[in-house]
Amino acid sequence: MTRLAFSAMLAAGVSLAALGQTAFADDTLLIGAAISKTGWDAPYDSPVMDGLMLAIDEMNANGGIAGKFPVEIETRDNRSDNAQNAIVTQELVDEGVNMMIVTCDSSMVHAGAQIIVGAQIPAISTCSSSPTLPLSGDGYIFANAVTDNVQGAAQAEYAFGQGYRKAYLLRSPDIEYSQMPLYFADAFKKLGGEVVGESLYSLGQPDFSAEVTKIKELQPQPDVIVTSAFEPDFPAFIRQLRGAGVTVPLVAGDGIDSPTTFALGDAVEGVVFTSSGFAEPGSPMAAYQEKYEAKYGKPPESIMDALGYDLAKIIEAAVTQADSVEPAKIRDALANLENVQGATAEISYKGGNGTPTRPVAVIRIEDGKRVLVSRKAPDPAIVPAPNLDLNAAQ
Amino acid sequence: MSGPSAQRATATLLGALLLVIPLAVAAVLFASFASAGLQRTYTLFLINLVAVLGLGAFSGNSGILSFGHVAFIGLGAYASAILTLPLATKASALPHLPTLLAGLEWGLPAAFVASLVLVAVFGLAVGLPIMRMGGAAAVIATLGLLLIVHGILIGATDFTRGANAFLGVPRLTNIWTALGVAVLALLVVRWFRDSAAGRQLRASREDETAAKAIGVDVLRRRLVAWTLSATIAAASGVLLAHFLGAFSPSKFYFDDTLTLLTMLIVGGMTTVSGAFFGAIVVTLTIEVLRRVESGVDVFGWETPELFGLTQAGLCVLILIVMYRRPAGMFARLELGEAWIRGWLGRAGGTPVAAASTPVAADVAPGLLRADGITKNFAGLRALDAVDLSLAPGEIVGLIGPNGSGKTTLVNVISGLILPDSGKVAVDGADVTDWPSFEVARAGIGRTFQNIRLFGQLSVLDNVETAALAARGTEAVPADPNARARELLARFGLLDLADRPASALDYGAQRRLEIARALALNPRYLLLDEPAAGMNPTESNELLRDLAALRAETGIGLLVIDHDMSLIMRLCDRIVVLNRGEKIAEGSAAEVQSNPAVIEAYIGRKRARQGASIPTSEGVS
Repeated sequence: MTRLAFSAMLAAGVSLAALGQTAFADDTLLIGAAISKTGWDAPYDSPVMDGLMLAIDEMNANGGIAGKFPVEIETRDNRSDNAQNAIVTQELVDEGVNMMIVTCDSSMVHAGAQIIVGAQIPAISTCSSSPTLPLSGDGYIFANAVTDNVQGAAQAEYAFGQGYRKAYLLRSPDIEYSQMPLYFADAFKKLGGEVVGESLYSLGQPDFSAEVTKIKELQPQPDVIVTSAFEPDFPAFIRQLRGAGVTVPLVAGDGIDSPTTFALGDAVEGVVFTSSGFAEPGSPMAAYQEKYEAKYGKPPESIMDALGYDLAKIIEAAVTQADSVEPAKIRDALANLENVQGATAEISYKGGNGTPTRPVAVIRIEDGKRVLVSRKAPDPAIVPAPNLDLNAAQ
Repeated sequence: MSGPSAQRATATLLGALLLVIPLAVAAVLFASFASAGLQRTYTLFLINLVAVLGLGAFSGNSGILSFGHVAFIGLGAYASAILTLPLATKASALPHLPTLLAGLEWGLPAAFVASLVLVAVFGLAVGLPIMRMGGAAAVIATLGLLLIVHGILIGATDFTRGANAFLGVPRLTNIWTALGVAVLALLVVRWFRDSAAGRQLRASREDETAAKAIGVDVLRRRLVAWTLSATIAAASGVLLAHFLGAFSPSKFYFDDTLTLLTMLIVGGMTTVSGAFFGAIVVTLTIEVLRRVESGVDVFGWETPELFGLTQAGLCVLILIVMYRRPAGMFARLELGEAWIRGWLGRAGGTPVAAASTPVAADVAPGLLRADGITKNFAGLRALDAVDLSLAPGEIVGLIGPNGSGKTTLVNVISGLILPDSGKVAVDGADVTDWPSFEVARAGIGRTFQNIRLFGQLSVLDNVETAALAARGTEAVPADPNARARELLARFGLLDLADRPASALDYGAQRRLEIARALALNPRYLLLDEPAAGMNPTESNELLRDLAALRAETGIGLLVIDHDMSLIMRLCDRIVVLNRGEKIAEGSAAEVQSNPAVIEAYIGRKRARQGASIPTSEGVS
């Protein structure tokens, strides 16, 4: 029995090893995607990959990037699991991928970083907005979305421009993203604003009545409430806040840009949030969205798929610039990219240490629709530095 | 050491080697020929194997499923990672660590040992209340443990960075460190399974009440197993932390709990081999399916991407195993256990066919006394101030109609239930509120009305476990194995020694239960309907055996039975209970002619008509 099981194990091992070996021509760009196809992280990665595939298909229809580098994508599911992510990342590296696409969850990206850096292969995260990725990415890991510190600065500029001077923060120390209001506070203070109080919450907290009561009893009322809460916390909070009669304006992060938010009706009327992009008529974003609808038969549900299209355009620009599929050359080209036209915006990496320089769209919800307030990059002087230990920044 | 115990140790070692050798050979093959990705897969398999072995050491032997072991894995991971984290990383990622920890940068071995000690202490502390609960309550409590530790890991931001990734842990786990720990874990859990403590715990898994009745301190055995298994789980956590290099509390939650339980359940929870092959089968299933799901080339035809196939496949695997083999693929088979012992037995000559050497008859002075025992069950008076005494060398019959309180009295005396009032004393020592395993060790053996054997343990193990539990009491059997064989020989069961107890016929099960009770060398033996279901020939044999037993050992016997002919012939004295009250006591002749007894048994009307007590009455 042992011998049988053992030889079965060996046989399986050998045949699996053989499965991985697929020959590619030298000028094929082989992209390894170590992403979540299943598990809690999948709803973030999946739409990005949809948008990405749309662009890759376009490129391959024209003979590949720059007409000579056809693109192949090898996708592996990390099942939203840290350990599995380390394994699929290693497998893709073993297969000799030229570059990688890594997942939206920053904790998994950090976990895979050691392998990627060790193999010296450039990697881009689908949609992580963590400005700390480059800290463990050591020049090889790049963000795609507008990072938390840049969003925080854009929120501060908007709020200060509206004449708000007293801000109230709602944040959760549970994960990096939900700490975005701390970046806001940093930038807001630089501009001359003041933080008059804050409430902490736990991710998945069903009841916000304590926080709402605290805000309601503040005298005087703050000028603005700032949060990066997202589903299911944001809907719960905003319903209870408006239900209690608090009408203080609210500024949020890009995490609320989902169909759920727009289904909240009156509760979210007038809410302002920052985002990577906005589909103005005649803009590249609007053109992209038409293509998306043509291919998938439905309009996009959020900005996420457009980020995928951006990602493909960034890869295209880097490979074109490098005129090679060698990982080292792609990395160097990527780090120096300037003004790449994506679906959502023009994107630059030069001087960003792995984080993109993108304009931030400030969007207001009016009658259940997105209305553009402004669209520009915040003043670099007020953008806070990435900080691994946000609680210490207090 | 020589003889059976050395033989058992050799069998344990050989059984462990059967699993260790393929594990090591595979490691060498993977390290020499496989790609880095496959080596990582094998390393992760070894880490998971350690976790499953740890889980099995507790759940397999105690029969209590644990949802909490992933918490120990997480604690081991975080504790060790805090110790090995490079100082520079520590300063930037964990600036609020207490000074003592902030200045430490240990190597893996030191961190490994320190983390295991820490988790062992924690495991013991949480085990104390959880193990007391037992059964379903304990299972729920382990689930609570998982949730609480998860909350603590997120809440202790100064130590763990909360729900954020814990980064920069040096990646010191390679295929060899993982192999070393896995081999060690295999040896330890295999040894524990066959140790006295392990066998007693397995006996309690089969029947907790019966285990207590043969003197097994179930709580303590569970606690030992729980702490040991928490420590092994922590070892897997240390390896995992230094394999991944970065992780967050979500890694140590439901997903991994379910994967581990799947491995354990698919393989078979009760054996080390089951855990071992469960881990292999589940890992192989995952590895094959996840390669298929991302699309493979089959003779030039590219299969479509089918993400989610892995999870679906695992579900189907569990369903098939549960349907076809509810006890797991390996059921209760421990690889090599049977034939290694058979082989050793042949090599070392036939085992001593115990020539029945009776324990010297020493009719010690002393008395088992129950005074004024009263017990109410929700308003029903089961016992009302009943007195009973039993001297060594005496055979007392306890009779009465169904529901008269006979079994309740035996349960009170053996410590299974507490009386509302009254006192039980063994040779002058008040044992009324002692737990039943201590009463057993004080010299009271018993059998049960509805046979309670350790069904899946061998006939020999049933008796040997009891002999083991007797160690540390006054009546120390020199060699538990020899003692067990001697008792089996006496009751004509030696030929069946290696059969599972549940495979015996009814009469043999009754005899085995008596043999098991005697393994403790009790001075008093309480037999609850030993002849129930026996035919006249069998019950005559039993009569002879019991009489001989008393003559040889000087033991005091209390016999409950409805077989009046047996009782009348066997007993020196008979006590009659009716509706919880003692209505008569005396010799067989006295009791038979007592009007109150006749009335209790056959009713007032027929008693007046001069009927007598039937000599044999079935159990209704």
